Amino acid sequence: MIEESMKERSLVELGPLLERLLAGDFLCAVSDDAAFRRLQDEATRERIDAYLRPLNRRLATNEEGSVYFLAWRQLDDAARDQLSRQLAETVGSLLPMLEWLQLVQEALGRDGPVSPGDVLKPADFSSRCEDNQGLRERLERLATDPFFGSQSEQLDAQIKQVFKRLRERGYLRQPHADRQYFVATAKIDYLIDLVRFIRDEEQLPIDDQAPAGQERLL
Amino acid sequence: MSASDPDALDNRLLGTGTERLALLGKHAEALMAGYVRDEVPLEGLSTTALNRLLSARILWRPDEQAGVKLAPKVRELIAEMLADETRRHVNADVAETLELMRGLVQSYREARDAAEYWRQEQQLLRLRQAVDDLDGRFADAIDSLWRRLNSDFGFVSRLADKIRENARAQKQIKRLLDGLALIDFDELIDLVGADGALRKLLVSQLQHRLSQHYTSLREVQRRLIELMARFRQQQSRSRLVSGMAGFLREHPGFVPGNYARRGEVPELVNRAAPLTAAGAVALDHPPDVRDVTELLHHLPTPAAAPEHVAVAVAAERHEDTLIAARQQALREDVERFYLAVVEGGEPPSALEYREAAGLDWGEEIWLFQVLAEFQGLPRREQAAFRLHQAESRAGTFNDLRLIHDVRLELCDAPREGA
Repeated sequence: MIEESMKERSLVELGPLLERLLAGDFLCAVSDDAAFRRLQDEATRERIDAYLRPLNRRLATNEEGSVYFLAWRQLDDAARDQLSRQLAETVGSLLPMLEWLQLVQEALGRDGPVSPGDVLKPADFSSRCEDNQGLRERLERLATDPFFGSQSEQLDAQIKQVFKRLRERGYLRQPHADRQYFVATAKIDYLIDLVRFIRDEEQLPIDDQAPAGQERLL
Repeated sequence: MSASDPDALDNRLLGTGTERLALLGKHAEALMAGYVRDEVPLEGLSTTALNRLLSARILWRPDEQAGVKLAPKVRELIAEMLADETRRHVNADVAETLELMRGLVQSYREARDAAEYWRQEQQLLRLRQAVDDLDGRFADAIDSLWRRLNSDFGFVSRLADKIRENARAQKQIKRLLDGLALIDFDELIDLVGADGALRKLLVSQLQHRLSQHYTSLREVQRRLIELMARFRQQQSRSRLVSGMAGFLREHPGFVPGNYARRGEVPELVNRAAPLTAAGAVALDHPPDVRDVTELLHHLPTPAAAPEHVAVAVAAERHEDTLIAARQQALREDVERFYLAVVEGGEPPSALEYREAAGLDWGEEIWLFQVLAEFQGLPRREQAAFRLHQAESRAGTFNDLRLIHDVRLELCDAPREGA
C-alpha cells in the first residue's frame, strides 16, 4: 500500500518530464537539465517505460546517450506512415540545417560545428555578416529557404527568424525570453547521428576521417 | 688562503654576471624584436654593445654573412617568462642531470672525508641546485602542459594544428615520464649512504616532489587524451557536415531509402508522433468548483467595442463566407465535369456539359475555372488529359485569341491516378 503510493508520487514528480516527452520534445542536459538527470537513472527509465506502454511508446536515446525522446513500441501501419512522413521532412530539412552548421562554424571561426552547450548570440552573427559580403549572401540564401522561411530583407530580421525556427525545432534553447542568447541542445547530436546513419546506409562517398593536409573542405 | 681564492672567484662571477644580466635589460627592445622575428635588428645597436652581447652569449652569429640571432637559451628564457606556448620548450633530459648528481655526490664525499668543509659546502650547494633544476624543469614542463590544455591550444587557430600540438604535448609527456622512470630511488639510497643531509635532499625531498610530478603528468596526460578525442570528434563532425552538405548540393534529387518501411526500423528513425495532454474545465469534482469560479471571476473582461463596428464586421464576414462557398461550389462542379471526362464515352465540351447539367454559372466563369483546374493539376495527372481550345482571333487586325469553348479528352494511354 505504502509502496503503491510511493510509486504514484514518484510518477507525479515525473509529470512535466513525461509531458515534454509525449509532446515530441528531445530532452538533454541543455534543454532540461533536471529532467535529463532523472533520466540518467535506470529505475526511473524503467518506470517511464512501464507508464508509456499503453500509449505504445517507449523511451529512446542516441548512441552517446546525450538525448532522450519517445519511440513507438510496436510499429503498425499508421506508425510507419507517420515515420515515413517524418523522415521525408527531416531529410528535406537536412541541407538547410547542415548549411547553418557550416555557416556558424565559419562565421564564428569555430573548430567544429556547433555542439551541445555552445552559446550563440544573434548579435555576433550580425556583426560578422556585416563585415563579410560572402557570409551575408549565404545567410540571406539560408534565411529565405522555406525551412527557415524569412520574408525580410533586413539582416537582423533574417537572423532573428533563423534563430526562432531553430528554437522551435528544439535545436536551440533560449534561457531568457527577453535576452538574445541561445544554447545549442543535444538534438544537434541526433541530427549528426542521422547524417552519419544515412551516409552509412546509402554508402555515400563522404569521408569523415582526416587525410593529412586536407582539413578544410569548405 | 684557500678561503680568499674562492671569495675572489665568487666576486668575479658576481660582477660579470650582474653586468651581463644588465645587458638584457639595456637592450630589451632589440632582443624582443629578435625574439619575434628571425634576426635581431642591428640599427639601434653600437658595435661595442653588439660585441658585449655576443661575448655574453646572449646573441650569436651562425656565420659571418648571416644576421645576428638570439641564443637558444635566451629565447627559451623569454618563452618561459612569457609562458609563450608556441615557443616554450620542454627539457626532459634526466639522464644527464643524474650523471651530474652522481659526480657531485662523489665529490662531496671526498671533500667530507678530507675534511674540506668549504668544498663540501660548495658541492652540497651545487647538488641542491641540480635537484632544484630537475624539480623546476618538471614543474615548468607541467605548467606549460596545463596552460596549453586549459587554453584548448588556443595559440594555434586551426583544428588540424591543435591536433598536431596535442600530439606533440602527449609525446612530451611520454618523454617526461620516461625521464622520471630513469630515477631509481634504490640507487639514490645506496648512493647517499648514511649521510643525513644527502638523504634528506636526494631521497625524501626529491621523491616527494617527483611523485607529485608523476601524478600531475598522469592527470594532464589523461586530459590531453580526452581533449584529443574531442578534437577528433569535432574534426570528424566538421568533415561529415561539409561532406553531406556538399553531396546534397550536388544531388538535389537525392532521396535516401525509406527506413520506416523496413522490417527492423532503425532506432534513430523511430520517433513517435507527438501527443498533447489536453485538459478542460470539469465540474464533477466539487472541491474544484470554487477554484473554477475564482478563475472565471479573474477572466479579463473583453474590451467593449462600439456596436455598429461589430455589426459591420459581422456583415463583411458573412459576405466573405458567401463568396468562398460559391467558389467552392464552382470548383466542385468543375471537378464533376473532369470526372465525367474520365468516366469515358464521347466527352462533351465544357459548355455542352454545363448546359446538360443545368448549371447556372456564367460562360466565362465556367471556362475560366475549367482552365484553372487543368493548370492546377499535378504534372503527372495533367499529362493524362488533352485540352482542345475552340478559339478565334478577336479581329482581322487583332491577334488576340478568344476562347469560345474547351474540349477535354483523355489521352490514349491514360496513366494511373488520372
